Amino acid sequence: MNILLVMIPLSILLLIGAGIAFFWAVDHDQFEDMETPRLLPLEDAPDTPPTGEPPP
Amino acid sequence: MNASASGCWHCGEPLPPDALLAQVAGTPRAVCCNGCRAAAEWIDQLGLSDYYRLRSAPAERPEESASAQAWARPELARHAVRTLEDGRSEVCVLVEGLRCSACVWLIERSLGGVPGVASVQVNAAAQRARVVFDAERAALPQLLGSLERVGYRALPLDAAALDDARKRESQTAMKRLLVAGFGAMQAMMYASALYLGAFDAMDEVTRDLFRWLGLLVATPVVFYSAQPFFAGARRTLAARRLGMDVPVAIAIALIYVASVVEALRGGAEVYFDSVSMFVFFLLVGRYLEMRARHHAANLSDALARLTPVFADRVRADGTLERVGAAELQPGNHVHVAEGSAVPADGTLDSERCRVDEALLSGESAPVAKRRGDTLVAGSVVVDGPARLVVERVGTDTVLAGIVALVTRAQAERPRLAEAGERAATGFVARVLTLATLTAIGWSFFDPSRAFTATLAVLVVSCPCAFALAVPAALTRALGVLAKRGVLVVHADAIEQLAGATHAVFDKTGTLTEPDLALERIEPHGTLDRDGALALAAALARGSRHPASRAIAAALPDAALPDVTDLRAEAGGGLEGVIDGRRVRLGRADFALARDDVPASLDEAVVLADEAGVLAAFHLSERLRPGARAALDALAADGVALEIVSGDAPGKVAAVAERLGVTHWRARARPADKLARLTALRADGARVIAVGDGINDAPVLAGADVAVALAAGAELAQASSDVVLAGERLGALPEARAIARQALRILRQNQRWSLAYNLTVVPFGALGFVPPWLAALGMSLSSLVVVLNALRIGRRLEHAVEAPLAPAGADA
Repeated sequence: MNILLVMIPLSILLLIGAGIAFFWAVDHDQFEDMETPRLLPLEDAPDTPPTGEPPP
Repeated sequence: MNASASGCWHCGEPLPPDALLAQVAGTPRAVCCNGCRAAAEWIDQLGLSDYYRLRSAPAERPEESASAQAWARPELARHAVRTLEDGRSEVCVLVEGLRCSACVWLIERSLGGVPGVASVQVNAAAQRARVVFDAERAALPQLLGSLERVGYRALPLDAAALDDARKRESQTAMKRLLVAGFGAMQAMMYASALYLGAFDAMDEVTRDLFRWLGLLVATPVVFYSAQPFFAGARRTLAARRLGMDVPVAIAIALIYVASVVEALRGGAEVYFDSVSMFVFFLLVGRYLEMRARHHAANLSDALARLTPVFADRVRADGTLERVGAAELQPGNHVHVAEGSAVPADGTLDSERCRVDEALLSGESAPVAKRRGDTLVAGSVVVDGPARLVVERVGTDTVLAGIVALVTRAQAERPRLAEAGERAATGFVARVLTLATLTAIGWSFFDPSRAFTATLAVLVVSCPCAFALAVPAALTRALGVLAKRGVLVVHADAIEQLAGATHAVFDKTGTLTEPDLALERIEPHGTLDRDGALALAAALARGSRHPASRAIAAALPDAALPDVTDLRAEAGGGLEGVIDGRRVRLGRADFALARDDVPASLDEAVVLADEAGVLAAFHLSERLRPGARAALDALAADGVALEIVSGDAPGKVAAVAERLGVTHWRARARPADKLARLTALRADGARVIAVGDGINDAPVLAGADVAVALAAGAELAQASSDVVLAGERLGALPEARAIARQALRILRQNQRWSLAYNLTVVPFGALGFVPPWLAALGMSLSSLVVVLNALRIGRRLEHAVEAPLAPAGADA
């Protein structure tokens, strides 16, 4: 049963890690918009890099 | 969209005969105007033409406006732009015409390309974009201008009113929920080891290890996640009331403290798993409810769009300067152009004008005002220009009051949820009494078991399932409805929709398309068809009345004769001088200026000069697609149907007959409509009123549940309980079916969880329920409730295609 003394602290560390990751994600607005990101993979790579200004 | 075939490639509006061509991805595409051509070509040149493939609704037609430039004024920018800690600037804009996710993509790409822009976040549900930029390299007008070029009107929101509070609330709730979820999971794992150990005679050291581990994971759950319950309990106790939070907080504290004591003295049982799961399930219920509340709040932002952002202030020398409405001071003189909205409450300073006060009265017929009369912010000057002296600005205006009212109505919790919570509170209070009785009873009988039995009662009777029953069903129903384009503004509407016995429809704009179509022209006298149409179109071109628009649309860009001395008579028609001849267009009695008109002209739009009738225009109404099917479905569902319209009897009868509706009333003014609803409700009927929400806002308010079709004015969203987005009438019978199912499942959930709790409590009190069984029962009952709620809308899931089905792939 001594393995428990290694495994349980390990699992708790993992848990804390996951918690920190989630807190980070929430604080950085990763859950703000669940609609838009699913469209992004559909886009083709642009032929020319967007410049933001209409070319003359 | 099939825009390429039938309408403008960019905005989807019908193409004029002399359509322009835009080069998109090397292919010429027909567009309706220069603005659309510029927008389409610019989108293409940015390499963003994928937008046309990804979008699901045509774009807003770009209107050329100088308003973006006005944001360069520092006084105005100060209200909208906020400086971040790192020196960059942030602005939050409400984007009008943001209709689908492809728009989001387009906006992100086009704004992201502006030099100096650090990040762009677009939220389609809230119709907002948040832009962080470097004020040195980019300016607000430039950002708004680049949005306008792609066809979106953007309105910077007041920096003070950013939805930070809402965002913080949801982020904190998410964190608390996660901590509770992780904690509950781990506590459950350690607890199962304990339960299994109890059968296999675990040695005491291992047992204690698992107990301490349970304490370790349950502590953050109690002290962090359960904080809202303790805070709420403190608040309600301070107000000398007994809310749901009080018994919940007592139960959490009691179970936690008891378990710590048991763990310290090596007693019989610990309940760290139960307390964590208790908190977790309660938080899930709260979280679902909060999401629904925020969703409704986003809708009310539409009202903010009614207030104009700019005003034309009159300088001392009589010239005009464009300023932000927020900069106006009482006493300022303001010039309001014809067709624009009044920026602040004030009194009329020019001789006379007519304004549309639909936002106050719901009546779109313009109201005549004379010098000294009061004008309210948000109403539209129909014929002007008008000049007014500002009296009240900002939050003091009538419109701000209405917005506050709507906001408050939406912050209120739905009746169902409140009733559910009251029931749960009563239940918890009784459980606490019972637990006390159990403790007292056992202390006489067998003091050593008093503590465990009392805790078992508390745990086994935890009203988690009971507390989840209502929010789970409501949230699921709101979600399912929103997916089919039915936006529920007031959650109470679900209950009313399910129980309705009558449905009263407005005709124009509700059962029929808001736009009329010119069916045929009947020339009288000397003019031929085309000559008559040219005269009529010249008169009608400037008017926004549906009949005028139909006539003007028949001859869009032809060279029309010049009209001088043009004047509009409300409820009558238009009058003007063309080639020295005075002509009138409108209702027969107005055009001929006499009352005895031939019956054949009764329902036509008549063009006449002083000599007599020149031509009669017959306009036809088109039924909305799916109107018949929707009404049939409602009738089959046992709803009595009725049409109440302000239109002429002949037209109403024709529409009623085509839709198979036997009860109809014509020539009903808003007051008559309201009286009809009141009469129906006095007879015990529960009435759904369906309208476009503009002309009938007060009528809608008189119904049990008000339904508006969404493309109407923004106000429609405020004055109705339910909005059918995409103007799809067919969504109404579906919504009713979903509402009924939701209500049925909600009641089922409540009955079921109550029955469960009532059955197990006596066993717990008598000491028959071991703690592991109590914990298992608690989670299983909650799971059943949530799974049951997920059944809502399952049957309809694939029955009808969603209103915003992906389109554009064929374009």
